[in-house]
Formats: sequence, C-alpha cells, structure tokens
Amino acid sequence: MILGGLMALGLTAALAANPALTGRWRLDPARSTALDGWHKVDLVVALDGTRVALTYDMLWIRSKVVVTNTVDTAHPVELKNFFRIEQRHMAVYPAKHGITQATAAWIDGGRTLRTEVFTPVEISQGEVLMRMTSEYRVSETGDTLTLIELHSTRNRPLVYVFNKVPTEAAN
Amino acid sequence: MKKLISLLPLFVVCAVSAAVTKPIPGAASPARAAWMMHFDLDWKVAGGLPEKALLVSLQGLANRATPQLYIVHPPEFQWEITGPLFEFYQRKHGVKFTELKSADEALTQFADAAKGYVVWDKAVGASLNVAFTIAGLEDAVVVAEELIPLVTKHGLKPIDDLRGRYTGQTDEAIYQDAYNRYWARCAKDRIMLMGGHVGAVRMPAMADWGVREKMFFHDLSANPQHTRELALNRRLLSELTPGGYVFGWHSYGKDTEEQYTTLLSTYGLRMEGLHNLPNLSFNCQFTFTPGFKFTNNHHVAPDAKLTAEPKVYLAFVQSDSIGIGVWTKPGRGKLPFAWQVTMNWTEFSPAALEYFHESAMPNDYFIGGLSGPGYMYPNHIPAERFPLLMERANKLMALLDEHVMEIMDNSAADGNIGNTDLTQETVDRYYQAFPHVIGFINGYGPARTRDLRGTQPLISYDYYIDPRRPRAEVMADLNELIALNAKRPYFLLVHVRESNDVNSLIEITKQLEGPIEIVPVDVFLKLAASNQTYTKRYQDPEDPKHFSGYPKE
Repeated sequence: MILGGLMALGLTAALAANPALTGRWRLDPARSTALDGWHKVDLVVALDGTRVALTYDMLWIRSKVVVTNTVDTAHPVELKNFFRIEQRHMAVYPAKHGITQATAAWIDGGRTLRTEVFTPVEISQGEVLMRMTSEYRVSETGDTLTLIELHSTRNRPLVYVFNKVPTEAAN
Repeated sequence: MKKLISLLPLFVVCAVSAAVTKPIPGAASPARAAWMMHFDLDWKVAGGLPEKALLVSLQGLANRATPQLYIVHPPEFQWEITGPLFEFYQRKHGVKFTELKSADEALTQFADAAKGYVVWDKAVGASLNVAFTIAGLEDAVVVAEELIPLVTKHGLKPIDDLRGRYTGQTDEAIYQDAYNRYWARCAKDRIMLMGGHVGAVRMPAMADWGVREKMFFHDLSANPQHTRELALNRRLLSELTPGGYVFGWHSYGKDTEEQYTTLLSTYGLRMEGLHNLPNLSFNCQFTFTPGFKFTNNHHVAPDAKLTAEPKVYLAFVQSDSIGIGVWTKPGRGKLPFAWQVTMNWTEFSPAALEYFHESAMPNDYFIGGLSGPGYMYPNHIPAERFPLLMERANKLMALLDEHVMEIMDNSAADGNIGNTDLTQETVDRYYQAFPHVIGFINGYGPARTRDLRGTQPLISYDYYIDPRRPRAEVMADLNELIALNAKRPYFLLVHVRESNDVNSLIEITKQLEGPIEIVPVDVFLKLAASNQTYTKRYQDPEDPKHFSGYPKE
C-alpha cells in the first residue's frame, strides 16, 4: 500500500511541469477567502527543471515582504524560512529557526502543482507542526490561478484566486 | 516635577462651578439651565467646517466658567454617546436644555463670552489651529472669511486676522511662528494635537476643550522623515509638565498613530483622544451624582483561587474606549465582555463614566488602561517617569473599582500587526507597579508576551476580530486556534474591534468546536493563574521592528 503510494507519488512527480503556472499573479480579494493584514499579495512562480520557486511579494501598510519557497517535484526539501500567507490577526507565527519539510508533485496530468508541507508554528502554548496541503490550479484560459490551501488544523479551506499580471506590467 | 492633581479638589471645583437653581424631584442634582445644538455630519472645509469651527470655539468660551453649551452629534458620528449622555444630563443632573438651531442663535446667546474674533485662512490648513490657539488666549471665536458678517452682527470685533500671514509657508514655519507668539502663555500641562482628518474634511470637534483650557493647537508630525516638524514637536513635548496630556490625535496625513504614541511616551506623556471627542468643556464641569460609587461587576474576589478544567476558556475584550462602538450595538449584555475604560474621564467626563456604569449589564466588566492613565506605549516610557504615571493609574483603578490592567505597545508594529510585544523590563515594571491587580492583558492585534508571577498572569490577545472579516472566517480562525493550541486548558483571549456587534459574536461562539466556556475576563485570568499551559515570553530582541523609536535628545 505504502509502496503503491510512493510509486504513485513518483509517477506524478515525474509529470512535466505546467509552464502556464509561471509568471506574476495578483490576488483578487473579491474572489478570495478574506485575508486580514495584507493589502497586496503577488505570487511569482518560476520553474527550473523539477524545482518550482514560489515567491510571495506581500505588502501590509508600509511593510513589504518578499520570500521565496522553492520546492522540488523530484524529492522532498527542507526550507529554513518557509512563508505561508497567514491571517495576521491570529497569534500563529513562524517558529524561530524552524525547519519546514516540503514535498511537491505535478498532478492531474501535470496541470496542477500540489505541495505538502509540515511547518512549525509558534502559538501561545509553544511550537506545533502544521500540515498544509496546497494546490495551484491554472484556468484553461491561463489567466487565473486558484490556490486552495488546506490546514491540518482548519476544516474550512482557504481559497485564493489570482489574476495573471501581464508580462509588461510585471516587469 | 509637578505634583499630579488629586481628584477630590477637582470634583469640589466642578461642584462649586455648577450653577445651582432649584432641586429637581427624582434627579440626583439640582436643576440648571443649559443650551444644546445638533450637529450634522458635514465637516467639509468647503461645507460645514467653518461654521462648526466657529461653534466649537464659542462652546469653549461659553463653557469657561459654567457648563452652558452641549453638542449632540448624529448616531453615525464616531462618538456615539453624545445622544445618550444628553439624556443622562437631563435625567441625572436635572439639566434643562434649550435648543439653539443656528450659529446666529448661538451667538445671540453666547457672544458675550467672546471678546472678538480671529479669522483663519481656509487656504492654509494650519492657520485654523493657530486661530484656535489665539481663541483660547484672547477669548475669541474662530471664523472663516464668510462668517465675519455674522459675528460682526453680534458686536464682535476683530482680534487677529491670519489671512495671508502664512501663505506659502510650511507647517513647521507656521507653528514656529505660533510658538514664538503664543506658547509662553499657553497651558503647559496639556497640549492639543489637532490632527486627524486632513484635506477636504477636518473634524476638530475637540477644539472646545483646547480653547477652554488655553492649549497650544498644532498637528506637527512625528514622522522621522519630517525632521524639522519633528524637531519642533519634540521641543513642545519636552516643555510640557511630566505626566502631562496630549489631547487630540495625530494627523492622518503626516504620521502614524504608532509613531505619535511612541513619541509622546518617550516624554512620559499620555494621549487622550480623539481629535473629534466632543463636549469635554461641558462634561468636565459635572462630577458624579451624589451617592454614586463605581461598583464593577466582579465575578471573583481578588484573593480567590480558581482551578481551570480541561477546557477552552474564551474571554472577549473591547479596548477602543467605551465611548466608541460596541457599547451601543445590539446584543450587549448577552456575552461576558470586558471594556477598557478611559480612566482619565474621571477628570474630564465623569458623567460619561457614570453613564456607562449606570447602563452596564451584569456581563459588562470594566478594566483599566490603556497601558496607564491614558494611552501610551510602555516600552518607551522613561524609567524615571513610569512610577509616577502608574501610581496615578493605580489610584484611578481603585476609584473605578477595576482589578485588571490592559497594556498595549504597537511602537514596533506596523498598524496593529507585527512586533506588539513588551520587553521583559517593561513587564517587570508592571508587576512592580501593580501588585494588587488580578492580572494583565496585552495587545491590540495579536501579541505573544505572556507571563505568570505568583497569582498574576499576563496574557496577550490570541485573536483580533476585525469587524469586516466574514463571520464564517472568524469562526474558522477561532476553531483553528483551538485546534493548534491542543493542550487543555487553553486560554483564548479575543480582542473585539470597536464596531463589531455582540449578536454576531454569539452566533460565532455557537459554532466553536471543543469544550468551550466563555468567561468574564477576571475569571479568565484567575483560571489562567491556576495552570500555565501558555509559554512565558517577552519581546525577543531579534524580532524585527518596524520602528525602533526616537533617539534621546
């Protein structure tokens, strides 16, 4: 059973990357789960072989945050400064010096990128691991990216819809 | 160092100043006459502002010796209490109000309170603040050009005319000129930061108070990028009496609340806002009604010991001053709710505090704050100023029958998010200054300063409810916090932003998952003292700071 699962993971990981995912995407708040604390959210995706760089370009009032999570569909990776789009009115913080375990795979015939991370977070009772499963789905027309995020600690998924930023505007 | 004024003499002065006429059966105080006006919501510079500026300056003068003129604002105004308080004055103080329907009627009634008028320059925003300063010092009403005929009709003579005086000058230059001309004669234990709205709309509803008290008006910046304005600002603050007041609010167009509050805290001063808080010139002249004593709805004795069960304990706090927001929203009283009281209102608005206490329901519980006797950021209060301020806070909390102190320091945050924690040194000072409180609350947005010393916990907010956040997401957020904080008991402290309503919170609490118990905040802290499932944590020096504060001079 486990072997079968791993084989399946290997197969999906071996699928070709979806080039339509690349580029700069801008959050459409009206079509997304409400997000406290961020005024602007851009997601920039870059592909390099089996590596996928997910750069979050965020703004809260005057505070700009630009962080890249690079995952690899060929093998698990450890991330030192993992970034998640957090609801900033919750006392849930990235754990100081925390190491996040991340896996990634192309699924659905290569159309969708799925990542799964185990990330340590600081809460009032100390540090705990949060599992986050995320799917990055590009619309057929290539102009919309839907990020569906499921937490091990949250029954209600978070859905963020992004619109493609034209190349000339992104530069 | 100026000795802080004790409350008793103030009350005596206020009581003596009240012009007694005849006793009112059933009312707590003898009857007296006063006048009132209804304001609308038009504060546009090109619309209703000039007349309102005239009227609030007149109000400050009319209320110099006795409380004569009161303004009722629409329910949609940020301070929603002017209507209920108007009713309270009639019912409890026997005030018989006569309505004045226009500026003309107001001048007919009160022009004698003014010696003349000062003209501000509508093309130079800062000139309005200079005019208010002059109004206080010279007993003048403040007029824009188009209102000169009106005040002239009532026999008022020109005292000063700012038209053209400051054309083309920077705010720093204008206020430097005002400093040179007027500062020496202005009050030194208080100053009016008349900022807030800028541009097409301005809202100086607090100007009556500044005029009455002969304060220096300004909206100088605390933004470090505005070096010249900041330098003059610092000079003014440094020349105020230690422990003095900065009334009003920062300019929305120049700096941030965090910057200004950090700056005044650096001088051991305290903020009392907002810039549109109305009627202090009237309110300050009423004391508590005879026999009134603050009696809080305590749910637990200070020395009681409670034992937490394996549950999720949830407590709600609202800290944006009880005069704003939730108090008048539907559903109050259905949930245990803690309300941070603006303690200095004992001095400036006793009737307002009495009104809140009188209308409190069993589930309403009052706590002290914010950070001390006024709004300040404790990480920046000089060590030598801290004991004096907190001694005053202790006295006010005793008067108000409060057992919980709320602390907030957003100096290193961006808005209410980011680094909102207290240094260990600050926490040490609070424990030393408040040996008799049940415990402390910290934050506005979420924070992570936590402690437990003896039976006194210090708990930060784990969640902040933005009124705009969909209720389904609030419910999911709270359930996620409950899932993440899996040890039981879990102490979940929630800050409720001013304009939420309690009914919506009730619906949320019905959908929370787990062994939930909603408790009053005093019970919450007692339970938190019994089982420390939360970490001890202070501001980590390595945590990023959005702003580090101002260099010492």
